[in-house]
Amino acid sequence: MRSNFLIRTASMILLGLLPVFISADTKDDLEFRRTVRSLLRKHCTSCHNEADKKAGVNLDRFDFVVHVIRSGELFQKVVEVVEKNKMPPPTNPPMSQADKDTMLAGILKILEKALAKPDPGPTIMRRLSHREYRYTIKDLLGVEFDALKYFPAEASGGEGFDNQTGVLYMTPLLMERYYLAADSVLTQVRNNPALWQQLAPRSYRAGPLRHFTNWWKGKISDRKVYWRKPVNIAEDIILPFANKAYRRFLSIDEEQELMSLFENIYFEEWRKKDGFEIAILTVFKKIMVSPSFLFRMEANLPINDPYPVNNFELASRMSYLLWSSMPDQHLLDAAYRENLHDPKVLRREVLRMIKDTKFDRFSENFAPQWLGVQDLIFSSKTDQEKFPEFTTSLRMAMYTEVVEYFRYIFTQGNLLQLIDSDFGLLNKELATHYGVSGIEGTDFQKVDLKESNRGGVLGMGAVLVSTSLPERTSPVLRGQWVMEQILGESVPPPPPDVPELEAAKDQVHDELDLRSLLELHRQPSSCMPCHKKMDPLGFGLENYDAIGRWREFYGTVPIDSRGELEDGVVFNGPEELKEVLLSDKEKFAENFSRKLLSYALGRGVEFLDSHTIRDLTNQLIENNFNGPELMVALVNSYPFRHRRSDLADRYKDNKL
Amino acid sequence: MTLSNQFSRRRMLKGLGACVALPFLESVYPNAWQAKSSSQAPQRFACLWMPNGVHPEKWNPAKLSSDFELSPILSPLKQVKNKILVLGGLMNKNSISRFDGHYTKTANFLTSMPIERTVDAKVNSGGISLDQLMANHIGKDTMFPSLQYGLDRIKSGVDKAVGFTRLYGGTISWQSPTQPCPREIDPRMAFDRLFRNHIPGKKPLPPDPHKKSVLDLVMEDAKSLEKQLGIEDQNKLGEYLDAVRAVEKRLDNPKNLADFEAQITPDIRKELERMDIRIDEWAEYAEGVDITEKARLMIDIMVLAFWSDASRIATFMYGNSVSNRNFSFLDGVHGGHHAISHHKNDPRQMDQYEIIGRWHIEQYAYMLERLNSIKEGSGTLLDNSMILFGSGLRDGNRHSPYDLPIVLGGLGGHKLVSGQNLYFDQETPLANLYMTMLTAMDIEVDTFADSTGPFCELLT
Repeated sequence: MRSNFLIRTASMILLGLLPVFISADTKDDLEFRRTVRSLLRKHCTSCHNEADKKAGVNLDRFDFVVHVIRSGELFQKVVEVVEKNKMPPPTNPPMSQADKDTMLAGILKILEKALAKPDPGPTIMRRLSHREYRYTIKDLLGVEFDALKYFPAEASGGEGFDNQTGVLYMTPLLMERYYLAADSVLTQVRNNPALWQQLAPRSYRAGPLRHFTNWWKGKISDRKVYWRKPVNIAEDIILPFANKAYRRFLSIDEEQELMSLFENIYFEEWRKKDGFEIAILTVFKKIMVSPSFLFRMEANLPINDPYPVNNFELASRMSYLLWSSMPDQHLLDAAYRENLHDPKVLRREVLRMIKDTKFDRFSENFAPQWLGVQDLIFSSKTDQEKFPEFTTSLRMAMYTEVVEYFRYIFTQGNLLQLIDSDFGLLNKELATHYGVSGIEGTDFQKVDLKESNRGGVLGMGAVLVSTSLPERTSPVLRGQWVMEQILGESVPPPPPDVPELEAAKDQVHDELDLRSLLELHRQPSSCMPCHKKMDPLGFGLENYDAIGRWREFYGTVPIDSRGELEDGVVFNGPEELKEVLLSDKEKFAENFSRKLLSYALGRGVEFLDSHTIRDLTNQLIENNFNGPELMVALVNSYPFRHRRSDLADRYKDNKL
Repeated sequence: MTLSNQFSRRRMLKGLGACVALPFLESVYPNAWQAKSSSQAPQRFACLWMPNGVHPEKWNPAKLSSDFELSPILSPLKQVKNKILVLGGLMNKNSISRFDGHYTKTANFLTSMPIERTVDAKVNSGGISLDQLMANHIGKDTMFPSLQYGLDRIKSGVDKAVGFTRLYGGTISWQSPTQPCPREIDPRMAFDRLFRNHIPGKKPLPPDPHKKSVLDLVMEDAKSLEKQLGIEDQNKLGEYLDAVRAVEKRLDNPKNLADFEAQITPDIRKELERMDIRIDEWAEYAEGVDITEKARLMIDIMVLAFWSDASRIATFMYGNSVSNRNFSFLDGVHGGHHAISHHKNDPRQMDQYEIIGRWHIEQYAYMLERLNSIKEGSGTLLDNSMILFGSGLRDGNRHSPYDLPIVLGGLGGHKLVSGQNLYFDQETPLANLYMTMLTAMDIEVDTFADSTGPFCELLT
């Protein structure tokens, strides 16, 4: 009797729980399993399963719609390759049109539903990158500080930029350096009367009467002396500085805290001739090592839905994007008086900021990192014995060319001219290196390149050197570079524990002709699919040697820079390669939008950004690849102007 | 291209004469610890990590146990042969990855845990690294709980092909699974950070009486801001607070400062002066040219840090993973390290690979010999050290994580039975060696990563 009761109770409890398990399956889940999942199993998972994971892809692990959404980018890729008949591969049975339609419609429905509600993605407070620190110091105090040398070097994240939240750590060593940096920068300012006058227009020194009064007070009381005048003067110096440094108004508490620090120090040091300055400088130092200065912080509102950032936060987002630095007074005024979210105000400010010389910093930071040539400024791996012509000044000229040309094209040209154009910006040294005559001087100037083999980033020394080995060129690296940096296609890694072919090629490079090299790449079947894509692109650039000079021969063997792409398109040499790249403008537009969005948001681009990328891409094409217009659209975009609290995630997680 | 060919005005002025570039210590100096007290000397640990593996056939010594014969690559270690352990057969199981041959075998060299595949947001090494674990135990008694050095800037960019940020290829020290320790690569900055106020003839930094109030205040700031922030932001701020605390701790402890000053014996002071000049000369004539001298400067700074007890823990990276350093400055080598490491069994490539491997061991031998030339207690500084040399892969051509090239120099406070060549069963965890070192240091942990226990046969 009793055991029966127990069994019954237990089964009732279990039955009671059943709906909970079932309720985890939504209608969408069931439909997904019936349609998409069964088709994936029919056509895809014989290769893309847990064990084989061909191309690193496993499609056999999706049972719930939420998981599909979490891997949204992967499923976008699935749609793309199935739509373009790239998958299933010819070796497998083809998909019927009906299966294809059902699968794609099913996936797209899930993805579109997920994207319907805009999501700005995670926003984590960002420490200033070393470059941003440098420029913020310059704009705040007027002095130069070599932050890149002084602070420990940092890695990159997201799409390859150094301003990505995920890799901006705060460590004891860095904190130590921040403190010393503040010290050294403030000493520089203090020793420069003009700069100091701007920062602290007034001073205070205790006169004889004050000395006497304090002496007398000291006689009758043990209390620390205090009087108001120096504090009033200091307030007018400290608070404006703090507002600027924190890029917002301080709270009353914060103001009081700073002033009491001043008082503590001043009323200890007041006897000294420069007691007032000592106290001011200490407070400045405190400001410069505060989290509100070193990090870009934004208020986290305890609400579920995304919300627009406030005007000052938006101003900082804009200035760090466009100037790698703090907002100027004009922008802060606009943030105070107007609504920065108003598209008209926003547009006006963005265009104004692009015209400012501080916009050079955007080119300086964005262009070399996008093109992967940023390490050239620090060191060279090119073999000095083989290439004595590759001097430090030539290397720097190559680097400068990238920055100058990018700036020119972004502000005054058409972004497609990054791929091909009939002019360049060169100085004498670089022009001579490129075989362009008639250029004098060290200044970079606009040069007609109609008759030369240059024009666009593919013919730039910085790119060609960065994609070469110390002693010779590497068509594979160059091909990979074109795919990743220009077309935005990532190349899967070589299969595990298979030696790279680079070395094999190394040995024969100078001895074999190109055809044999190509053959060499196609031998192992696991390597072929990718090298078939990469190598032709790289071979198209073989007329440039490892330090970017034009050449027609390897020794006595003539260079054959023909290439045939997967889809059968044939080209010969860099000029025709550029034509091929320009034939798919959308691809370049999408890649450029993606890089820019990542740089602007300080994080990798995710599935949830799909619509933003699509809109920016379309906008870029419609506006004929105009840089400033793209920037306006980017600043106007949803994720740039919104944030969402991650506190909600915590509650969600707790519930699950 | 070496320094000795250059005329050194500064050295002449200092009256030191045009001595050779690398002033080897001819005499045996007494040590700070001995001068100060009779207490037992502390243990030191350093790890020298090299990228791209070694020539597999030129690495292993000929015979096992104590009468082993040094291999061609290990030949520079002959002066200290009785104080090294050559350990074969070890593997770092969690470095096997289907995606990549290098990053996963670098970032976890000292954590022995699998790393997270990510280009930024989810950087995670799987665990704290061995050096940082040691620093938590024995580093707190010194001015600098641990040091991280290297020769090259961390490589920027993300490796989209394999889906990893290059941060992983430039980091072996992890304060926590999610927090890498940055490296110093400039000898001048590294040296000044430790010894700036103790170099004879150099003006010390002015005192900063208000530093503590400033730091206290920013900590309060951070705490009050914390309440207004999201979860991830709070984590970031936590990092900030830890960093400030670490800086403050050094200030807070006047005993440390006084102790440290007392530890700078006249011999150390003399050496500091010499180093100061060498660094100036290197910066003036050889920066960007002479990588050997740079490696030796960084090594000498580590030796000085151990000698003066400024720190007891250090890691050093010869390069970032996949480093393609141009080694053509070595006779018989033409080309970059990574490219040569993919030798395809071509004897011409493999010969060069061997030479490059030996260069790394030469620098390591230099460190061991330096430590061995400094007297400490009844022995030498090397007797109280454990200096690990290793790479995360064996043969660059195969990216193989089995049978890693590993040497452990020093006697670990006479806790290690050294002077041997041992070969363990294939797939013995590298972490077992780490457990052995932790045991030698009397650091009690239940286990470390995939370790199955210490090598009892190595412990006295």
